[in-house]
Amino acid sequence: MKDNSLKGICEDIIFANFFKNHAKSLRNYLYYKYGNEEQAEDVTQEAFIKLWENCANVPLDKAKSFLYTVANNTTLNHIAHQKVVLEYSKKSAPKNTDNQSPEFLLEEDQFKTKLQNAIAKLTEAQRTAFLLHRIDGKKYHEIAEILGISVKAVEKRLHGALTELRKEIDNLR
Amino acid sequence: MNNENMLAKWLNNELDEKELKAFMATPEYATYNKIKEYSAQLTIPEADMDTLYSRIEANKNRPVKVRTMSPWISRIAAMLILALGVTYFVYTNKTTTAFAENGQRTEFLLPDNSSVTLNSGSEADYKAWNWKNNRKLHLDGEAYFKVAKGQTFDVITTMGKVTVVGTQFNVKARDNRFDVTCFEGKVRVSSNGNTILLTPGMSVAFDNGKQLDMPSDEDTQPGWLTYEVNYQHEELGRIIEEMKRQYRVDIELSDKQISTIKHSGKIPMNNIGDALEIIETAHHLKSHKAGNKIILSVE
Repeated sequence: MKDNSLKGICEDIIFANFFKNHAKSLRNYLYYKYGNEEQAEDVTQEAFIKLWENCANVPLDKAKSFLYTVANNTTLNHIAHQKVVLEYSKKSAPKNTDNQSPEFLLEEDQFKTKLQNAIAKLTEAQRTAFLLHRIDGKKYHEIAEILGISVKAVEKRLHGALTELRKEIDNLR
Repeated sequence: MNNENMLAKWLNNELDEKELKAFMATPEYATYNKIKEYSAQLTIPEADMDTLYSRIEANKNRPVKVRTMSPWISRIAAMLILALGVTYFVYTNKTTTAFAENGQRTEFLLPDNSSVTLNSGSEADYKAWNWKNNRKLHLDGEAYFKVAKGQTFDVITTMGKVTVVGTQFNVKARDNRFDVTCFEGKVRVSSNGNTILLTPGMSVAFDNGKQLDMPSDEDTQPGWLTYEVNYQHEELGRIIEEMKRQYRVDIELSDKQISTIKHSGKIPMNNIGDALEIIETAHHLKSHKAGNKIILSVE
């Protein structure tokens, strides 16, 4: 690993493997940021091509941070931020079948909708951090790396995001 | 309990037992727990990563960096560029034409207020676009110019080019004859590789490319402006051609010899009777009307 860490990215197989491990996360992160799938994919593409073009200068262990730095620095002619489309996975069956009364199901649906709307109202910084954790299952230190901030700052953002979500949902009741 | 990252610690299952118990006792806990539970079920639209990878593969060796635009933006951009291009092309190539019919004269101003008087049966074309930096006019016929001060001013004819700086001058380019007279400033005449510099009062003429000697002139403007043209050893044929344009009549010579007779002196261009009389008396000719024609013959 250490030996090919310098020339690594320039090898087609290593580049392809690196893409497999990191492209989806990058694309999801950019989707949370822009709220636009097309832009997220365009910037992902751009970042990977830049990485390829600079593969001789970027050691493998720095490639991830290079990728996110390029992505964060890519300025777009911003199309107005669209709403991040969020859905609930269908496999998530309720744990307790006793609770599946019609009232419970209705209440559950209402809550899900409220949560979606509340997430849409978060700031970009809070939403990005929150969704990276909840959807992509990123660890706090990974989110910190992606956003280029400290772990402490990530925790602050998530704390803020949860507070806002709770306020939004409970005030609607 | 309400410090700035407690909820983040809880979300990440980092609270110790005591902290967790205290949190679970709060009335907000139920909502927070639901948020935690349901947000774990969230998904977003899947990306087609294989397609994305092949797009990257295809661009790995791109020669220049190209930023992809959404298709409709590039379409609009292309249309705008096309529209601009067409407008630019049409605008920069738009030629303005001034024209004076036989028997008429036309005076007009160029974009820099230089004035041009076209003699009968003459045409001038120029491009108004970027006139300040490209003062150039095509002339067929005769015209008198009063040019505003500025960079060069070119009059282009089929027989030669006249270049001037802040001046008044007359250019005549008819048939094979090319005449330039300078009245003020300096004029550079180029024809067939010859370049002649004219100062006020000087004239130059080329007949079929051959330079003719022209006497200098005391006039301050060309005679035709005041309908009185002073000729010096000019062939009658050319004078008759000028009269045909000025009077809008057809004049026929019964004998071709007449056209080669040399004439010196003033010919009025606003009184055909006087003009004919002067020519008849000087060269022993006579004229009579036949329909719309005037026939000039030897006495």
